[in-house]
Amino acid sequence: MSETPGTPMLKAEAIRSGYHGVTVIKGLDFEVGNEVFAVLGANGAGKTTLLATLARLIPLMGGRIQFRGEDVSDLPPYETAGRGIGYVPQEKGVFAELTVLENLTVGGMIGERSQDERMAEVFELFPDLETLQTQTAGTLSGGESRMVAAGRAMMQDPILLLLDEPTAGLSPLYVDMFFEKITEIHETRGVGIVLAEQNATKALEVADRVMVLSLGEAFLIEAATELTTKQLKEGYRI
Amino acid sequence: MNLDWLDAFLVSGLFFVVMIIGLALLLHIQLGLARIANFGVVGFWGIGMYSFGVLFVKVDWPFGDPWPFLISAAFGSVVAGLSGLLVGWLIADLDEDGVLVGTLGFATAVWILATTEQDLTGGALGMGGLRFPYDIGTVKANETLWLVLLIIVVALILYYVHRVHRAPYGRLLTAIGDNEPLARSLGKATFRTKIWLFAFASAGMGLLGAMYGVMERFLETANIGIDITLAAIVGLILGGTARVWGAVIGVAISVGVFDILVQSYLPLPRDWYSQAIPVLREAIFGAVLIIVLLFRPLGVLGDMRRDKLMRSMHGD
Repeated sequence: MSETPGTPMLKAEAIRSGYHGVTVIKGLDFEVGNEVFAVLGANGAGKTTLLATLARLIPLMGGRIQFRGEDVSDLPPYETAGRGIGYVPQEKGVFAELTVLENLTVGGMIGERSQDERMAEVFELFPDLETLQTQTAGTLSGGESRMVAAGRAMMQDPILLLLDEPTAGLSPLYVDMFFEKITEIHETRGVGIVLAEQNATKALEVADRVMVLSLGEAFLIEAATELTTKQLKEGYRI
Repeated sequence: MNLDWLDAFLVSGLFFVVMIIGLALLLHIQLGLARIANFGVVGFWGIGMYSFGVLFVKVDWPFGDPWPFLISAAFGSVVAGLSGLLVGWLIADLDEDGVLVGTLGFATAVWILATTEQDLTGGALGMGGLRFPYDIGTVKANETLWLVLLIIVVALILYYVHRVHRAPYGRLLTAIGDNEPLARSLGKATFRTKIWLFAFASAGMGLLGAMYGVMERFLETANIGIDITLAAIVGLILGGTARVWGAVIGVAISVGVFDILVQSYLPLPRDWYSQAIPVLREAIFGAVLIIVLLFRPLGVLGDMRRDKLMRSMHGD
């Protein structure tokens, strides 16, 4: 297992979770520092469940989660969000009935900095959102919706951002743009990122370390540069 | 003041319409914004009315008017609010079916309580002894002033709802109604928000119940039937659940047209009023509901913001 760069932000110890009594995540141990930490795996590996568990949207069946040294295992999601964990779900990531601007302001209801300041930063990160701000989110394209969801998460002033397959189903242009933004968010704004992705090639370009999930278990955790195609294929059970 | 020009039926009809507008506005915050389908409106309204009535009539008040009314109305409103807190706590995490059953069940429980607790409520025989907290002359004058006071109360509710729409709290409610897990992941205490919303709206419904009790001067269990809930829901859906003015317009063209124009001004045979009209009213309301949901699901006003947006997108 590779070393966590710097002090761990997030520490998962033997975490188990799932739905309706079915265990999907089967005892994961890992740490995330101020880095881009990619979670790769085939469909059904448990990537979405893992991120929802870290965001505290799914209760733990066992184990514990620490965030910046504090045990957040029993905290409701609205309290973990307040501590700096931002979450961008794969689907239904926007409030369809609200405008783009309203979506962003809902994200900015927590945090201490002024909303205007944060909004300006989000518009700088995603300039398209500024022109779309009066549009109802339900009428946006897939790529625009993902931008709104990511922008709204950034309005929370996150310390750690959980991104669940942000480029799934998007055109190549949007995919490239999103991976550039992920790098920008991490490098210029100092936000740690946990990135669940199907697109292993692109994820490995931006990630510092990788965890390959296989049927809810960590097949390996490795520096992105050290991961071999053979390991990846074994992890994907190809 | 000479009020000969004013029809007594018009005053009581308008009172009912304005009261239903108030209920529909409070329901709008629950259903239109937070998507909580409260089918127990009459329960919160009724428990407020009876709590008010019991305290107002049973206590030997040492103070003069308007204190007995004010204290009793506050009590009715608080009891309704606490009931809303309890029911809200029970239903906040349930799906739509659970909310429907829970709120309908509460309304039924209130009706059973009012019917069986005869020592307190008078049961099916009803309870008299209610009166206006003032006397300015004739019955019609007192009723007209009471209507004016109700209009002021409902106008304040309308103003509050309007403010909610423009406030971060309104966006939070819409976000919860739209996608609650997402709102939760953004740091919003959705459960707490929902139960306090339920408590507040229920307290408002209870206050309207207390005011209705004074207008009727007699409480009976026949008053707390499902038709109150239906009138508020049909009016709100007809006008548009997502719009502030949807409740006002919808109730005016459903309850207003039927309970004022048809019942008071159409030359119908007298025996129709006791038998045919009430049944016909519910049948027409049901039909209107189906037609609106089929052909204009966003109501008469719809969601103007979205309509305007769609028109601009299509270059109209």
